[in-house]
This record gives sequence, C-alpha cells and structure tokens, in this order.
Amino acid sequence: MKLFRHIVLGAAVLLTHLSSASAADAKLPVVASFSILGDIVANVGGDRIAVTTLVGPDQDAHVFQPAPDHIKSVARAKLVVINGLGFEGWMERVVQSANYRGDIVVASNGIAVRDRVSDEHDAHDGHEGHDHHHGKNDPHAWQNPANIVVYTRNIVAALSKLDPAGASVYQNNGDTYIAKLNELDRWATQQFAQFPDAKRKVITSHDAFEYFGAHYQVKFLAPQGVSTDSEPSAKEVANLIRQIRKEKIRAVFIENMSSPKLLQQISKEAGVSLGGKLYADALSQADGPAPTYLKLMRYNIEQLLAQMKLN
Amino acid sequence: MMLLHDFYQFAIAPFQEFAFMRRALVATLALALSSAPLGVMLTLRRMSLFGEALSHAVLPGVAAGFIFFGLSLPALSIGGFLAGVIVVALAGWISRHTELKEDASLAAVYVVALALGVIMISGHGTQLDLLHILFGNVLGVDTEGLLLVAGVSSLSVLLMAGLYRGLLLESFDPSYLAASGGRNTIYQQLFLMLVVLNLVASFQTLGTLMAVGLMMLPAVSARLWHDTLPAQLVNSTVQAAAAGYAGLMLSYYASVPSGPVIIVCAGGFYFLSLIFAPRGWLPRMLRRPHLRA
Amino acid sequence: MSVAISLENLTVTYRRHPALHHVSGHFAQGSLTAIVGPNGAGKSTLLKSIMGLVRCNSGRVVKHAAASRIAYLPQQAEIDRSFPISVLDCVLLGYWSKAGLFRRMSRDMVRRAEDSLAAVGLDGFAQRSIASLSVGQFQRVLFARILLQDAELILLDEPFSAIDTKTTNDLLHIIKSWHAEQRTVIAVLHDYDQVRRAFPQSLLLARNVVAWGETEAVLCHENLHRARSMAEAVDEHAPLCAVDAADVVDVAHAHGEGAAR
Repeated sequence: MKLFRHIVLGAAVLLTHLSSASAADAKLPVVASFSILGDIVANVGGDRIAVTTLVGPDQDAHVFQPAPDHIKSVARAKLVVINGLGFEGWMERVVQSANYRGDIVVASNGIAVRDRVSDEHDAHDGHEGHDHHHGKNDPHAWQNPANIVVYTRNIVAALSKLDPAGASVYQNNGDTYIAKLNELDRWATQQFAQFPDAKRKVITSHDAFEYFGAHYQVKFLAPQGVSTDSEPSAKEVANLIRQIRKEKIRAVFIENMSSPKLLQQISKEAGVSLGGKLYADALSQADGPAPTYLKLMRYNIEQLLAQMKLN
Repeated sequence: MMLLHDFYQFAIAPFQEFAFMRRALVATLALALSSAPLGVMLTLRRMSLFGEALSHAVLPGVAAGFIFFGLSLPALSIGGFLAGVIVVALAGWISRHTELKEDASLAAVYVVALALGVIMISGHGTQLDLLHILFGNVLGVDTEGLLLVAGVSSLSVLLMAGLYRGLLLESFDPSYLAASGGRNTIYQQLFLMLVVLNLVASFQTLGTLMAVGLMMLPAVSARLWHDTLPAQLVNSTVQAAAAGYAGLMLSYYASVPSGPVIIVCAGGFYFLSLIFAPRGWLPRMLRRPHLRA
Repeated sequence: MSVAISLENLTVTYRRHPALHHVSGHFAQGSLTAIVGPNGAGKSTLLKSIMGLVRCNSGRVVKHAAASRIAYLPQQAEIDRSFPISVLDCVLLGYWSKAGLFRRMSRDMVRRAEDSLAAVGLDGFAQRSIASLSVGQFQRVLFARILLQDAELILLDEPFSAIDTKTTNDLLHIIKSWHAEQRTVIAVLHDYDQVRRAFPQSLLLARNVVAWGETEAVLCHENLHRARSMAEAVDEHAPLCAVDAADVVDVAHAHGEGAAR
C-alpha cells in the first residue's frame, strides 16, 4: 500500500514537473505591423502566441519612426505579419536592421485590390525620414470586414505552418472570429439598407474608406488625399463646398489624425454638421471606443448611421 | 461696360461666393501688413534665415503644451510662442555677453531646442506629428485664426510705428544709441519678440511656408527698388499683399495648392524686380548717356 | 577749473593682457585734447571705456556730463553704410536725445539740420542716400549730426583717417569752433603735426600714460621715444603687472600741475 502511494505521488510530481516544463515553453513571439492587424493576430493566435505591435493605438503609420525597441521585437519574432499594399514602407528597413530571417505574412494576399483614388496629391513637406511608398494600390483593405475574413484565413495558415502543433487551435479561433465578422457584416448591411442611395454620402478627411464604401455602397467624399498631409487648392475646396450644397450632404467626419481645421471650415461654410471621430488606420486606446477591430467597425458604423439620418 | 462687369466677376466673385476665400484673403493681407515690414528690418540686420530657424525652435514649447494639455490648439500655440521667445532671448543674451554674434548664437540654440523637442515627444510615447497639427493652412483659417492674425498684425503695426525711430537707430547705429543713453537691448528684444509673435501666429493660421515666405521674399525684393527705409517698408507690404491676392486667384482658377502658389507669386515679383527694378539688372545693362557733371 | 571726465586707475584687459592699465587723470571742462600714441596703445579703448562700451577690469571713469550731452564718433568701419537712409534723416538723428521716439521734427529742426549740412560743406546733399557718399562725405555727415546734438562733451575716434586734406581742414575748423564754444573735445589722432598745430592739450598713451598735458611738453623727443619702445605685440609670457600705486599717483600729480595753467 505504502509503495503504491509513493509511486502515485512520484508520478504526480513528475507529471506536474513535465507539464509545467512544457508550459514554460515560451509563447510564439509574433510581430504585427500596426494595431488593427495586431488585434486580428491576437484573436487567431490566442494563448499560444505573444503579439507585439509596432505602430500602436492612436499612432500614425504614415509618420512612423522605428525605434530600437521595435527592431528588437522584430529580431526576436518567429513571424511578422504586415498589411502589405504599400502601407508599411518602413518595414523593409526594420527587417534588415533586425536581421530577421523568418516568414513575413502579407495579410492582404488574396483580396480584391482597389486603386488609390486621388491623382493630385502628396505634397509632402518636410517630414524627415518620412518613409511610405505611394504605389497604385489603396492599402486600407481592412475597412471591409469581408477582407478581414481573408486576412484571418491567411494568418491561420501562416501560424499553422509555423506551429503545426497548434494548427487545430488556430483553425478553431479563426473560425470563431470569422463567424463574428460575418455577423458584423450582416448587421452593417442591414443597417445601411434603411437609407436610400441618395442619402448614403459622407465627407471625411481621410481617403481610407474606399474599400468600406465600395462594400456597403456608401459614397465617401474627401477634401484631401490618402496621406495626412497633402495640400488642397482653393478650387478643390470650392468645388467640394459647391458639391455638398448641391447634393445636400449633412454628414462630415474628421479622421483621428489629420489637422481638423480645414475640414471645420468647409463644414461650416457648407452648412454641414460635424460628426465624431472615425477610426481609419488605428485602434483607439484600451479605454476608448475602438480598442478591438470589431468594436472599431461597430463604432464607425454607428457614427456614420447617426449622421446619415440627418442627410 | 460688359468688359468691366466681366472683370469684376473674375476678380471679385470667388470672394463673394465663398467665406473661406474671404477669410483667406483677409488673413493674407493682415499677414502682409505686419510681416513684410518686419522682414525688411530682419534683412537689414542680416537675419534673413531667422524665420526658418524659428519654425523649428518652437517644437519643445509645442511638445510641452501637448504633454500637459493634450491636443489643445491654444496650449500648443502658447507653448510654441514661449519656446520661440526663450530661444530668441537666450541667443540674444549669449551674443551680448560673449564674442559670438547674433546669428551664430541663434544657430546653436535653435538646433538644441529642436532636438529637445524631438526627445520630449518620443519620450512621451506618441508619434504624432505635432508641428503638422499646429501649423495651419490658408484655406482653413477659422474665425479664431483670423482674429489672432488680425490682432497680432494690428499690434505689430502700432508698435512698429511707435518705436520706429528707436528700431531704425538700433539697426543702423547701435553705438550711437547706446552712447545717447538709449536702452539698446530693449529695442532689439522687443523687435525680435514681435517677429516671434508674428511668425508663431502665422505658422498656426497659414503654415510655415507662407509665414516665412511672405515675411522675407517681398522684403528682399523691395530693396531692389528703393534706397530709403520707409519706401522699402511700403513696397514690401504692397508686394506681399499683391502676391497673396494673385496666389489665391491662381489657386482658385488653376487649382494649385494655395500656400505654395502665393509664395511662387512673390517669387515672380522678386524675379521681375531682379530684372526691372532700379537696382536690378536691366538698368545696369542699358547704357544711357551720363548727365553733366 | 571744473572737470569734464576723471579717470581713476583705469585698467582694461583682454584675456588678462592689458589694453590699458593704471590710467589716471582728468580732462578739464572746455579743453581740447588729442590722444596720441603708437598702434595698439589703447587710444580707441580709452574712448570706448569712457563711453561705457567696454568693461573696465579695475578702476573707474567718472563723467560730469549727462548722457544726452555727450557725442561720440566711433571709427567709421562700425556703421553700416549700406543702410537705406537719407543724408538728412541721418543728420536728424542728432535730435534723438531731445526728441526721442515721438516728438515730430519741426520745420525749425529740419532747417537747422540743413544748416549743419551746409556748415560741413554738404549743401544740397539732403536727399542723397548715405550709400552713395564717399568716405569723406559720410564723415562730414556724422560731423553734421554732432553739430545738431549740441553736446557738452565730444569724443572723436580717428575722425580723419582715410579723408582728404581739404575735408580734414574743414572739420578741424569745426572742432576749433566747438572749442571756442567752451565744449570739451577729445580726439584720437595719428598725425603729430596736426596735433601740434591744432590741439592745445595732448595725452600720450602707450597702454599706460606716458605724458599728459600741454602738447608742446608732451610731444617732446624723450616722451615719444618712451612711447615707441612699447611693444606692439602682446607678450605671451608677461609676468604680473608691477605698477606701484605710488607710481600711479605720481603720474596724476604731474598731469595736475601741467593742466593747472
């Protein structure tokens, strides 16, 4: 009897030791380029990974300056996830500096890519080391939840390839998340359906919503180009005001990073009310209204709906 | 009669139809009125690059305003103004108490200020381009901005008119002023504070390019026309105002960014002055018979 | 006899080497004094320390005239001649002490400015810009400005350098008339003949006072020789200055006797 108990105890101790040892296996370090991506990756990877995000909440990827800490995270990472489509012009530099040899997943692979909208743009004045490329592609694919489904699947595939042991976990997490995305999409489509085409018009200072607009058939008009610092001409501003007056749009939004003064003036002159902030390129801080992608989309859509009612 | 009416339509209509055009014009004219004369004085004192330096030197003040008060424009602009004042006062103090001249000490101090500003911003953890947020655009001038520029402009013009003789003397013959018991430092510092005030108000309402450009370019151009100071002051103001109007018209009809095209117009006047002004190229090239001795 | 300026053991140094040291004495009210000496003797420095433009290392200067009644003409190189100002406006600056920022230039004042211009031989130059003047003409403008200042005490730093003889004579004439008007005039000069001809008092400097008093006595052979032997270059390995307080008193005493006449 005594021997048996000893054996059981010993086995229990051994087992605990062994399992804690394998639990002490560090979580897979994954780097995501910006906050929205970081959220998606975290949802898919769950407890098996530790996500580091380079461009954090409320930060502007267009003027991002990599710091030594960022390079360290990339050096230690087993997987790097980027949006692609020209969004992270600085990523190549970071990867090089960090001597990173692992996989880089382009989350947007496989989506239907849109061209960038504005032709005259991009008077970049004086940003030292300002480093993003303006190719033909519009990078803001994440604004369409249907695209995020593709993102999710790409991330599931990449994580599974890197960590086959966790493939089923990733698949499950991915499926759960995709279900939530689809639910969001259904809800949004339903909500927008209550407005006739003529009322589905919005003005915002950031051209980040083309994918969103195309998917939900909402027309986004903007006074400035895609980046945060191009300079409009008087004619463009005049045309915009005339158009607003003519088409009777009432919904105007300020993107959370560019200078709001110009937009305020246009809205005042055209007799338009200002809506709240729309989150285009980044999540909000944890205590803000858009700390996760799902919350971000819901918040943006609610804001849009509220203003559209006034149209 | 038709022609006059058409011309009126062309020249005035944009400002009638759109409030933002009206505000842009008034702000530009106010800026022209006070900044151009200050620019003339700056070139006379060999400080033509002062505006450039100042646009960078305001950063630590703007950063401090952001750190303590968040994205509040009044906080940012007051912070920027204080930083500019401190940089200028410090450079002035250094130049008075050592062998270093004004431009050398300013060059040193503003660079340190800029670096401090960058450290403060990154230390605070955000990557916001604060200066971009603070610096405005002529098409986006709101009522507060208009009041600010108009107020600063009026104050500057009044002060310059009142202190004219002292400022002139301090620039022209400072040892005479000192010898007569005048307080040189006061005139010099007051003048520089006025420049800082005008520049910071203009950065905020109209952006750096327009602020510095309209201050310096017409001033340099005016010197090619006249050899007395009052004439140069008036000429520079007129050129600045004309450039502002012409630029806004071009921006409206030809769809080019407004700030830069205003400066291009000022540059155009400068180029014409280089060729046609009394001190320019053409009068020198034309060999006219000389007068009797 | 009243005193216009007293110097008390004045020392001015540049990085511990003396430009002037242990200078003591006084300028009598209404005197006409030339300051002479070899290059680097501290003549300009002396005028600048009297004006307070240069800080003294030890000792002090006491001026018995109000700042508004003192006129100072620095060496011309220090003024920016490309400044866009007319001759008349430049001369009118002579009224700065009286008119300040706000008092308007009355017709009377303008007329007197034009008279000063005529007095220095620049009749008709009123509207010219100073940039168009020759060195001699500009110097005359500065003299005209001083005429307007109506100063009690006039300090001139090398007023005749790089000017032609005619202008020099004209300006000397004006200086003489100032002397006749009981104004105290002090001028830094190089031409010893000129000094002997036109200046009753002289101060011979060679970083410290060599001689101070009547020109005849000061500019004697022996003194000039002593002054010349002052080294122009600075001695990097000079020991601490060993001038005695007693020596200083001696020099002052000698000067006092000379000026009493």
